[in-house]
Amino acid sequence: MTFANVKLIVAREIRDQMRDRRTLFVIVVLPILLYPLLGMSLFQVSQFLREQSVRVLVVGSDDSVESLPLFGIDGQFDERLFLDAKRAKLLEVEFAPSSRPKDFDPRKYARNQLQSGKCDVAIFFPADFAERLQKFPESVQFRETDSAVAQQREPSPRRIEKPARTGQPEKPAVESGAAAQPPPIPNPEIIYTTANEKSQIAFRRLSEVMQRWTEIIGENALREAGLPVVALRPFTTEQADLAGGTGLRGAAGWAKILPVMLLLWALTGAFYPAIDLCAGEKERGTLETLLSSPAERSEIVVGKLLTIMLFSILTAVLNLLSVAFTGWIVLSKLGSFGPPPPLALLWISLALLPVAALFSAVCLALAAFARSSKEGQYYLMPVLLITMPLVVLPMSPGAQLNLGYSLIPISGIVLLLKTLLEGNYLPALQYAPVVVGVTVVACLVAIRWAIDQFNSESVLFSGSERLDLKLWLKRLYRDRTPTPTVPAAVCCAVVILMLQFFVGLSVDPQKTIAGFTKAVLVPQLAVILTPVLLMTLFLASKPRETLLLKLPHWSALPVAFLAALAMHPVMTVVQRSVMELYPADPHLGRELGWLLEIIRKGDLWLLLLLVGLTPAVCEELAARGFVLSGLRRLGYKWRAIVLSAVFFGLMHLILQQSVNAFIVGLVLGYIAVQSGSIFPCMVFHFTHNSLVILSGRITPELCERRPKLYWILAPLETGGVEYRWEFIVFCGIVAALALAAFGRLSYVKTPEERLREAIARGKAKNPEAKDISVSVASMIE
Amino acid sequence: MIQVHELTKHYSDLRRGQIVALGGIGFRAKPGQIFGLLGPNGAGKTTALRVLSTILKPTSGTATIDGFDVLTQSAQVRSRIGFMSANTAVYDRMTGWETVEYFGRLHGIPRDELHGRMEALFARLKMNDTRDILGAKMSTGMKQKVSVARAVIHDPPVLIFDEATAGLDVLVARALLMTVAELREQGKCIIFSTHIMREAEKLCDRIAILHRGRILAEGTLEEIRDRHHERDLEELFFQLISHYDEEAVDSGQWAVGSGQ
Repeated sequence: MTFANVKLIVAREIRDQMRDRRTLFVIVVLPILLYPLLGMSLFQVSQFLREQSVRVLVVGSDDSVESLPLFGIDGQFDERLFLDAKRAKLLEVEFAPSSRPKDFDPRKYARNQLQSGKCDVAIFFPADFAERLQKFPESVQFRETDSAVAQQREPSPRRIEKPARTGQPEKPAVESGAAAQPPPIPNPEIIYTTANEKSQIAFRRLSEVMQRWTEIIGENALREAGLPVVALRPFTTEQADLAGGTGLRGAAGWAKILPVMLLLWALTGAFYPAIDLCAGEKERGTLETLLSSPAERSEIVVGKLLTIMLFSILTAVLNLLSVAFTGWIVLSKLGSFGPPPPLALLWISLALLPVAALFSAVCLALAAFARSSKEGQYYLMPVLLITMPLVVLPMSPGAQLNLGYSLIPISGIVLLLKTLLEGNYLPALQYAPVVVGVTVVACLVAIRWAIDQFNSESVLFSGSERLDLKLWLKRLYRDRTPTPTVPAAVCCAVVILMLQFFVGLSVDPQKTIAGFTKAVLVPQLAVILTPVLLMTLFLASKPRETLLLKLPHWSALPVAFLAALAMHPVMTVVQRSVMELYPADPHLGRELGWLLEIIRKGDLWLLLLLVGLTPAVCEELAARGFVLSGLRRLGYKWRAIVLSAVFFGLMHLILQQSVNAFIVGLVLGYIAVQSGSIFPCMVFHFTHNSLVILSGRITPELCERRPKLYWILAPLETGGVEYRWEFIVFCGIVAALALAAFGRLSYVKTPEERLREAIARGKAKNPEAKDISVSVASMIE
Repeated sequence: MIQVHELTKHYSDLRRGQIVALGGIGFRAKPGQIFGLLGPNGAGKTTALRVLSTILKPTSGTATIDGFDVLTQSAQVRSRIGFMSANTAVYDRMTGWETVEYFGRLHGIPRDELHGRMEALFARLKMNDTRDILGAKMSTGMKQKVSVARAVIHDPPVLIFDEATAGLDVLVARALLMTVAELREQGKCIIFSTHIMREAEKLCDRIAILHRGRILAEGTLEEIRDRHHERDLEELFFQLISHYDEEAVDSGQWAVGSGQ
């Protein structure tokens, strides 16, 4: 790859995009105009919503409600019930008409009025409410007196004094005891509807007023009873906000806004130029011109990638600046929300580069698929649907930057940025290398994918054929190749994963051994094995070659057995590390507790059959048989192995298990390719799974009975046992040697792999390249 | 200069299944010669020329240009060819001058030398009016001139024209044919595909009649006429194609090109 060509391509593409009014509008004009306009609208709308008054209908069984001290002389709520007297105007009080029919039902009337939109909220005061409220101070005295009577049975000076003050007839203490206690005040009822937002606002305002009124009544009653008002509210909680006045409160808000904005705009900024630079170029017919120029495909991809990156960065930066400025102005008016932290710009600039590179590469590869700009637009929604959870989930309140999150592309960056913007530099710096490493790897994979798209004739020159399902199925069968194609392998993997997901949701196993048997056999036989066998028969003309049903070299089976034995202790370490990285959900642990119980105590032979043999056959035929055979037609051995291992990992559904399965999948894929047979994989898989069951049965008691086990095992403080580290290292070496032995087997390359090698040699100017290309091309035939 | 041997190219098509676009063609073309690929629509001309220009990879067989293999030494091949077809468009948002300059630079020509060449080329092809006009606003004739200039700016020994006159009016097509003839005089090895008999008769030194991915006849025009005892090229072309199709039907091998 020559940098001069890349530079030329970048310069041309930038000039091309800058002359495109649509691109300029989306990248420059939109952010400058959009956010100030949005901010203004938000400001206006929020003001409008806040200041709008609501109508309150007051209904009671009689007209006495109008004389309640809740209302002032103007018939509106008393201004003293509001912390800010101006807010009294936000509640417009209306009373039910005084002329009422005989069968007048106040509650029904209120409901009808609310439903017909004539009021936003209604309050109903039951019969006797006003009368009993009036007697409330008296009842407080009585209650207070009751306790006094109970304790002293002596007259209290206060008891005599208070009724006189309220104008009530004087009653002897004994007479006004428990027998004469006044009935409680009936509760008023607020009628509103959550189906209407304005009604909800009215409900909140009215509730606040009623709360305040209740408090005042309580205070007055206490005061009149000669009791300290402080009894109503013994203490209040003081607040001490460390971030107050330091600008850090704003930082927390910005830490939520800016990373999401950054990622979404970086994606949007990459997407549209990518569509224009790939699908648009195909559409206009200029791609063929470029492909016949001396520029290598990789140079074209890198040139386009850098251009897309530049526009992605520009879009993100302009949008962020605009949103930060507008947000600062608007939010500072609405509440105590300071400007973005001073270092925000630095962190965002640092994060923007890998983010833009990743999104640009993904968009470029996707855009290469599209036959036209219109088709390309359809790809935006799936990209957003995949990206959004990765961007938004880390913003949930409980999410903290840790190693687990750091290992997830995009989510890691979001959390790292959030942590930096919050000013928590220590954890941020701790995990920054991991996040950067993961992002760089993801970028490289995405770039590789984009380059592959540009090397694929079917992608670059695919015609616009009308989809006909019948014809398509007919063609699939008619044109089936000896081993499945790459799309067939991907399709098989997707079908299995989707079936697993839906079957997993619909099957709720009984927590018995019969339920366990069903829970294992149904997915294995119906969801994994059946689709694989059907697809093999339907999509491959050589089923034995596809499923690797060939006898391997005699040594492969014992070596696979040995490798599985030796891998087990190593995998326990991996499993432990994974569990530390991604701790299992305790709820899930409780849910699956019965499974562990069955594995520990169930019939061993049945378990070996269900957990050992069944997956060893079904999963191997799927992952190492059909899927790996199809993926190998990519022409890259290791890429096929890694992708099949990813599929194998995803098949295990639970994240903690998936990581483990991915690693085992890599080993199994390697064994399958090197031995050319599925049987060593089955031996390895069976041995590996069986060891999991057997090791679950090793307890400290067993070790006590068989002390030789302590040669390889060490007791744990928490109970249970674990492998000794010396033994783990030893086993690691043995496993490596066993795998190296597979490396010595005569590995049979696929025609595609040989072609890739021949092209690589041709590029290295091997003088024999021409002969090789002839023979390789003939072999593909 | 150009050597093609048993070249095949297969496609997969939803309706027609596995398409044999090229069923093992072979020919040679020399410098200072125009080699015409004559065939009806769908004969495999574009596929053959796309393979020669390294845009597509052959399924089997070999093709070399100036001694370099199209599959394994594609970069060297691309630097030695100028490719132009009815489908190769010019950039909408670049002027004629910028387009030619861009491809010249991609071919590694130093800027000063390139500008000298461009001045001469623009004058020779009488295309100075395209200098500052964006591709989107050019007429078809202007676009064609820019495409020719783009294809020859690096002075390649081999030129590939794929139905370059398709869709052009008589005047523009004639000007293009004259340019191609001039390029032959300069010693270029030219492959020129067309389905127009008159163009082939007027222009080509050797022709190959391509049908359903097979070469039915190859040689100079005179050789082919003598071999098949038919002076009229159009009649000859029709006879060869009809004869081939009849034989294919009789033998039940309606396979090549049709995929059936």
